[in-house]
Amino acid sequence: MIERKTILTVENLYKQFQVRLGAFGENKGTVHAVDGVDFDILRGETLGLVGESGCGKSTVGYTILQLYRATSGKIWYDGKDLTQLSDKQLRPLRQKIQMIFQDPYSTLNPRMTIGEALAEPILEHQTVPEKEVIPRVVELLGDAGLSSKCMDRYPHEFSGGQRQRICIVRALACNPEFIVCDEPISALDVSVQAQIINLLQDLQEKYNLTYLFIAHDLSVVKHISNRVAVMYLGKMAELGPKDLIFNNPMHPYTKALLQAIPIPNPHIEKSRTRELLTGDIPSALNPPAGCHFHTRCSHATDLCSQETPRWKQLPDGRMIACHLAVE
Amino acid sequence: MTLNTEMQMPPTQINPLEEDTNTKPFSIWQDSFGRMMKNKLVVISLVLIIILLFMAIFGPYITPYDYLAQDLTKRNESPSAMHWLGTDQLGRDVFSRVIYGARTASLVSLLVVFLSSLIGLVVGSIAGYVGGKVDFVLMWITDLIMAFPYLILGVVISVSLRPPLTEWMEDRFLATGNPIFRQTSFVDVFIVIIVITSTAWPPYARLVRSQVMMVRGQNYVTAARALGLSQMKIVRKYIIPNSIGPVIVQMSAGLGSAMLTESALSFLGIGIRPPIPSWGNMIQDGLLVWRTAPHLLVAPAVVLGLMTVAFSFLGDGLNDALNPKQWK
Repeated sequence: MIERKTILTVENLYKQFQVRLGAFGENKGTVHAVDGVDFDILRGETLGLVGESGCGKSTVGYTILQLYRATSGKIWYDGKDLTQLSDKQLRPLRQKIQMIFQDPYSTLNPRMTIGEALAEPILEHQTVPEKEVIPRVVELLGDAGLSSKCMDRYPHEFSGGQRQRICIVRALACNPEFIVCDEPISALDVSVQAQIINLLQDLQEKYNLTYLFIAHDLSVVKHISNRVAVMYLGKMAELGPKDLIFNNPMHPYTKALLQAIPIPNPHIEKSRTRELLTGDIPSALNPPAGCHFHTRCSHATDLCSQETPRWKQLPDGRMIACHLAVE
Repeated sequence: MTLNTEMQMPPTQINPLEEDTNTKPFSIWQDSFGRMMKNKLVVISLVLIIILLFMAIFGPYITPYDYLAQDLTKRNESPSAMHWLGTDQLGRDVFSRVIYGARTASLVSLLVVFLSSLIGLVVGSIAGYVGGKVDFVLMWITDLIMAFPYLILGVVISVSLRPPLTEWMEDRFLATGNPIFRQTSFVDVFIVIIVITSTAWPPYARLVRSQVMMVRGQNYVTAARALGLSQMKIVRKYIIPNSIGPVIVQMSAGLGSAMLTESALSFLGIGIRPPIPSWGNMIQDGLLVWRTAPHLLVAPAVVLGLMTVAFSFLGDGLNDALNPKQWK
């Protein structure tokens, strides 16, 4: 593998939401959405971030973009800690970090034409001289596989897949280098998903982009990622190169997740033995002590329920948070 | 900057359709207007409203008679070539009075809608944007006023405001000698506007609040924040354009209902009082003699009904035109 430099570092990130419970909001609670997360993203790579619904993976994405302010922890980008910057200081950096959202139907302003929507980031960050704005918009539309005639049309005139392509090139309009893709395909149907994935890969090559690809569809993550991170209940479970994670998972949660992928051959599917997870994901309002996963883990020991496992590196290069993994 | 330009493709590869890109993009308002004009009912309503405004502005110059001129030899006459809509109990020309009534109705309803939408916009957007306790208190007040019957409030305000205002006007006249302070109709109009506005703003506040709350949570606002747009730009380009549509619709319908309310107050004698003609007090006059001279009742009632319906249709048309999701 090519040696790559780090583009973004997340250090011990916490994000908690205060909520009020009960009919009259008499009980206060804290949702531990992200509960101490560390990882690097390398320049030019795609880091897949997977986990169940509600495990905090989208919150990580939103916090990196400072759309949510972190409760504690650091996010290093370009030598600066994003969590410490004011909105005004962040503005020039926003050109470099962009986001693609899950639902393309609500991500475009219904009162702006596609041309206006695409020109806005260019004008805001003045990435090209004023005369070249329209050619640049046309180029972006070309990237999205749309003709320049679409400029004067409104978002509601496009299909979900087309809109997501527009959202993608809009995120690219101000020449970012790092893009958080927050489940960009889960709201689309399968035939369109492949199209979007291919577009993301083509653009990555063309513009030398780095992706944090948040998803819960493991086969897509396997296809697109260089490295994969697995999250469970606000914490990282395992992180490593794609092949290592998919072929030789070591964290019991990663194993369970991978075994949940159906195999498109009924004979193998019937004969294989699976360790299925029992029970539900515990509430992030009151996460279990020790290893967050011990309530559902078939290998859990007493140590697991008492002590939080360290986020440690194994000799094969992967990071893992499990007492059972030997360094 | 140099890096960015290097990253782009050479211009020859951009697009063969480049000439098309210079076509002028049209604004959403022009677009909406075009769509609205396809609805015949809306066009008819607009024509009626323009006639009303014309009557309101040029009323005194186009009426065949003075609206106050009495001719007691010609009382309760039926419509004729001389008097198109007949004459009333004092022999005044009903046509002239209906035209002058348009002035009263337009003045009151325009000011009421302007003031109440302004109050609603301020209260609603603060409640929707700030949320929390502020929202709770503001909406509590809004609901309280919404629940209050406007006629009772009208009587209370009218009775308690009229004497001190009239007295103040007389004092001013004696002090300055300016004849403008003899126009007691100003007091009437002022009171009617206060009464209607104080009960008409809560729906605007509720509407604006819900719109702002809905738009604020949309992904495109989050995307705009991710883009680094300033708060002002987000409000101007994202929040307002996406929440203003229903407010405009409400304003159009509000013009009609303000006219109706003004007429109701005048009909009951707590709004615009004779001799200043209002469609409401004309209907009231007509009611006394409707068996012998039905035109006195019918003329103002028909005009009032037409205008209310016209504003309502205009509101519907605006609603269809301003909502991009309903475009076909």
